[in-house]
Amino acid sequence: MKIGKVHSWKKVFAQVLLLVVPTALLAFYLLWNVNRYYDILQNDWMRQGLYFGAGMLIATVFYGYRFRFITTAALLFAFYFIGYRMVARMQVGEFDAFFVSIRFMVFAILFSLGWITGFGFSRSRYYTVFWSVFLLAAQIIVVSKSPNINAQALISAIVPLLVYAVYIIYAAELIRNMNEDERGFAWFITKRVGGFGVILLLLVLGVFTLFKKDFLAIEKEWGDGKGGNYDKNKGNSESMTKQNRDGSMGNKDQTQLSGSLNKDKRLVFVARLDNFFPDGKTPNPLYFTAYYYTKFDTLTQTFETDSLMPANDLFKPDPSRIPLFFAKTDSTVIKNTHATKNRRVVNAEIYKTLLAANEYIAPSTAFFCQPVPVENAYKDQFKSAYRAKMWVSDLNSAYFIYNPAGNKMLENFQQERFSLLRQVTDWSGVDAAFMKYYTFMPRDAEYDRIATLAKQITQKAGATTAMDKMIALRDYFLSKDSEGQPMFKYSNNPGIPGMPSANKLNYFLFENRKGYCAYYAGATLFMLRSLGIPSRVAAGFLTVDRSSKNPGWYWFYEDQAHAWVQVYFPGYGWIDFDTTIPDLETHEARQPDGTPPLNMQQAYLVADGKVTSVDTVTKKVQMTVEKMLFHDESYDAANNPVPLNVDASIATVTTDTGAVRLSAVKKGMHITAASYAEALKNMKPQGNDNVSSVVKRIPNPTPVDEIKIIEAESEKPTSKKDIFESVEPVDWLRVLWTILIAIAALAVIVLATPWLIWQFLHLRAKAGGSDRARTFRQYRAAMYYLNQLGYYRNQSGPQQYATETDARYSTGFSRFSNVYQKLKYSSLPLSEGEKAIVAQFYRPFIKTVRAKTPFKTRVSKFANIYHTIHYFTQPKIK
Amino acid sequence: MEQTLYTEQSIHIDQALQNIQRLVTNIEQVIRGKRTQIQFILTALLAKGHILMEDNPGTGKTVMAKTLAQSIAGSQHQGGANFKRIQFTPDLLPMDLIGSHIFDDIRKEFIFKKGPLFCNVLLADEINRASPKVQSALLECMAENQITIGETTYPLEQLFFTIATQNPVEMEGTYPLPAAQLDRFFLKIYFGYVDEATELSIYKDYLGIQNNLQHIQQVLSMDEILFLQAEAEKVQIHEEIIAAVRNIVWETRRHPDIVLGASTRSGITFLKCLKAFALVNGRTFVTEDDLHQITRAVLDHRLIYRNKEGKQKALGSILDKELDRLGKLRIS
Repeated sequence: MKIGKVHSWKKVFAQVLLLVVPTALLAFYLLWNVNRYYDILQNDWMRQGLYFGAGMLIATVFYGYRFRFITTAALLFAFYFIGYRMVARMQVGEFDAFFVSIRFMVFAILFSLGWITGFGFSRSRYYTVFWSVFLLAAQIIVVSKSPNINAQALISAIVPLLVYAVYIIYAAELIRNMNEDERGFAWFITKRVGGFGVILLLLVLGVFTLFKKDFLAIEKEWGDGKGGNYDKNKGNSESMTKQNRDGSMGNKDQTQLSGSLNKDKRLVFVARLDNFFPDGKTPNPLYFTAYYYTKFDTLTQTFETDSLMPANDLFKPDPSRIPLFFAKTDSTVIKNTHATKNRRVVNAEIYKTLLAANEYIAPSTAFFCQPVPVENAYKDQFKSAYRAKMWVSDLNSAYFIYNPAGNKMLENFQQERFSLLRQVTDWSGVDAAFMKYYTFMPRDAEYDRIATLAKQITQKAGATTAMDKMIALRDYFLSKDSEGQPMFKYSNNPGIPGMPSANKLNYFLFENRKGYCAYYAGATLFMLRSLGIPSRVAAGFLTVDRSSKNPGWYWFYEDQAHAWVQVYFPGYGWIDFDTTIPDLETHEARQPDGTPPLNMQQAYLVADGKVTSVDTVTKKVQMTVEKMLFHDESYDAANNPVPLNVDASIATVTTDTGAVRLSAVKKGMHITAASYAEALKNMKPQGNDNVSSVVKRIPNPTPVDEIKIIEAESEKPTSKKDIFESVEPVDWLRVLWTILIAIAALAVIVLATPWLIWQFLHLRAKAGGSDRARTFRQYRAAMYYLNQLGYYRNQSGPQQYATETDARYSTGFSRFSNVYQKLKYSSLPLSEGEKAIVAQFYRPFIKTVRAKTPFKTRVSKFANIYHTIHYFTQPKIK
Repeated sequence: MEQTLYTEQSIHIDQALQNIQRLVTNIEQVIRGKRTQIQFILTALLAKGHILMEDNPGTGKTVMAKTLAQSIAGSQHQGGANFKRIQFTPDLLPMDLIGSHIFDDIRKEFIFKKGPLFCNVLLADEINRASPKVQSALLECMAENQITIGETTYPLEQLFFTIATQNPVEMEGTYPLPAAQLDRFFLKIYFGYVDEATELSIYKDYLGIQNNLQHIQQVLSMDEILFLQAEAEKVQIHEEIIAAVRNIVWETRRHPDIVLGASTRSGITFLKCLKAFALVNGRTFVTEDDLHQITRAVLDHRLIYRNKEGKQKALGSILDKELDRLGKLRIS
């Protein structure tokens, strides 16, 4: 085997930089993807990517020399064989051997693949084409095999590969075709790749700008995670969960994949709800609301949350911002319900697991939020908790579709509430703007078709009251067709192509009849609104009562994210109605609920304020108290904080994300300390107490059981949701435009530079001065002007150049040039004639040249910076 | 900054120009379309140097030399120059050039019979066909301006101007001149073909069977040539031009494609030629143009190139860089 060079080191370097590195990056991405599908890869994509990259890198450099492929490949396989035998010999247990050999196999396959790819990059012209086709084909097979693919996943699966394919073929051809001996090789490569990048950028920009509307529609369709803009018609209930949980798109994809792998649905939160039927034993579950989708945007054909909705009764505090045991209340919510009949206050406690710390979720018309600590034994399981209070209607219940057949009590309840609501027939007393808003519906043939269907259904059922119409719609969804099969089915994957929402709903209502909650809720909503019944869509969590052991405790899993309809009855307010038919497949297979957290202890003293010093050895914390709760009496000392010594030796320290050590408490932090100490139990607050008098009475240092760190505003982004929100709004389109504008500005500067220099020289040439100085400046300006027009001196002498110029423009440049040379190299004075030549040269010359050069030529030549560079650089000695 | 390296003697420029013009016009009667070559030859003449002309046979080298010689030659008492021509052949001996001692039967002693070298204008035709021995004999005379035979030293004429021609070295039957000897020639020029129109007019003039060269008259006397040589001495040369010559010479020594760079002597020759060339062009000062036009003729034959590419590019780019520097010089 003769060893010599096939490529120069420059070419090999270019190959590594332009081919190997991007391919390795893509390999990382693909392996990361593949790892989520196949357990056998053991989620070790980082190392696998390195195997592949190493194989590719080594082969690229290696085959830069004159090695033959067959020989070296044979050596490589021999190396594998020896390696495998060694691995097999070393391992003792069968179990280990299996794992190590799997790992070795993965290594061998990936390394070989990388090796072959590296060889292809180095030696073969057509390898990149083959490789791109192979990758695309493989990806298409993978995509076609995945059970629930959506636009987002499709784009993220195919687009990077397509871009990569175009790029790699281009780059490989570029490297093949260039002459690496050329001077300025690196600059050549940079220029080409830069140009390619700009073209790609323009292409992407063009595509995005051109199809922005379609993309927005797709984005809305699949839930863009922006929080709030859920398309309730098409919105995927899954996307809501993800949003409520931690707001990460990536996790959303992952969940879908795990769903396809039949993994367990994860617990989002656990709630205790003190809502029972009048018998006092049977729990009455209520749906937990996160948002209302009230406003229909006819332009984008989507439903949106609207902070300006009439009679805003949505209470959305941030529990992570409220100190432990301190409560936040919004009584306007109660007023805005406009409900007086059959309402009462209900308590709930929510224990979060996956739900983000700053999320607040509760049954409809909540108005109170009080963060509470989680009992120590449950701190690992539940990250935070809060109490909520709601202004709840007795008529409200999760039971509507889930008719508790056989449960006499529940059947009676249904009948009672239906009969009560049937009496409501008059909406005339309701605010006109309110009615207009909540019965708004776009008008066109598509929506009219829905309206016609609603009319048919209600007329056929003979429904006259709103309640009866509501029931008729529910029954329509539950009805069976002529063959005794259910008309409508539940499906998480309704397979509706991306179309505007009315189309989509029509497809759902009249043709496909398969869908998930958002379809049912959307269809119901439009039918109700077409009948003039004010209604809205609520999004949140479906509550299922499986709590035979612990009545009133409900467990919420990811797949319980839900959307349903609320109908407004004057006097009774908003009542939940769920028309989504049961999903026979998933709603039945439930894992048993766990043990609910115990009730927390009574806190006798809660102090909220800033830390002034921490001693982690003696476990003492000094703080200044700004707010205090003492036996549920609230004291405020925000203007004059009172110092307090706290004994934290038995305290558990928590943040929103879980328990931490005392050392996490730092000076200047905002904390809430709570004490359950028996010593405080018998100290009762007195009438004229304030913070300092309480502090004087209680033991010093005060023993506390809970310290909760409340993150400062500036530290806010540490919460996951906030990172997401601060990252998500990056408008890539705008970034692209900005880059493009920057490039354009740079280009303008570059293009304008020759002209600016010319203006300067021109002005200088026209200025006065001694004969010598003037002649010099005029000569310089003339030379620059000619040079900029593309007439280089090109190894000719000044006289020759001037004569050529004169021949081209019939000017008197050579005479002037002669005088200039005389001035420059001779001590003889100028004669009168020569002085005249100098005096009459410049302006006519420039004028003539300008007149004889078409404007277009002048512009294009003056835009060429290369001429300018040529003028100012010394010629190189070749 | 005023540069006056120039002696304050005024040049009789008009008279000098007149003389040159007369000479050029006279030569151009015969040699057409070769203005540059004529100027180079005059440059060598005025710089008190010698010139080597190279090109294919039949391009007019010999005619040129003869025309020049006839323009200044004539009978001695009329101040005309003495013109001799030697056709170099491989069997030529040095004594055929410089002369030899022959025995005088009457006086019974050896007397020195002067060879053709003792003249004012010597045409050494096809110099590279002679053996190296003869070549070196000639070139020694050119350098020393005198001939020493035995114990006697015979000085050559005050005006001694050699026009050598040679065929391209690639042709058969040639003895290429060594670099050291090429160095003696101030300029080496190429003749090249005339353009089509000129060639046609030449054909028309030479339609007769008889040779037409007879009508060339003597237009300058030897004194006038010497006067011109004295005038060339007074041409002003700017410090920057001298620096440019220095730079060019230095760059030829540094250039990777040039094996043997220019010597200091060639730099000196370069400056002499520049002055003469400026005068030939009717100027009393040297400019960039002179530098541009003359560099190749002065330096090219003194350099040994590593390869063909170097021969084509090296000197040109060195000169170009220097011209660029000079062209951008700021004068105030």
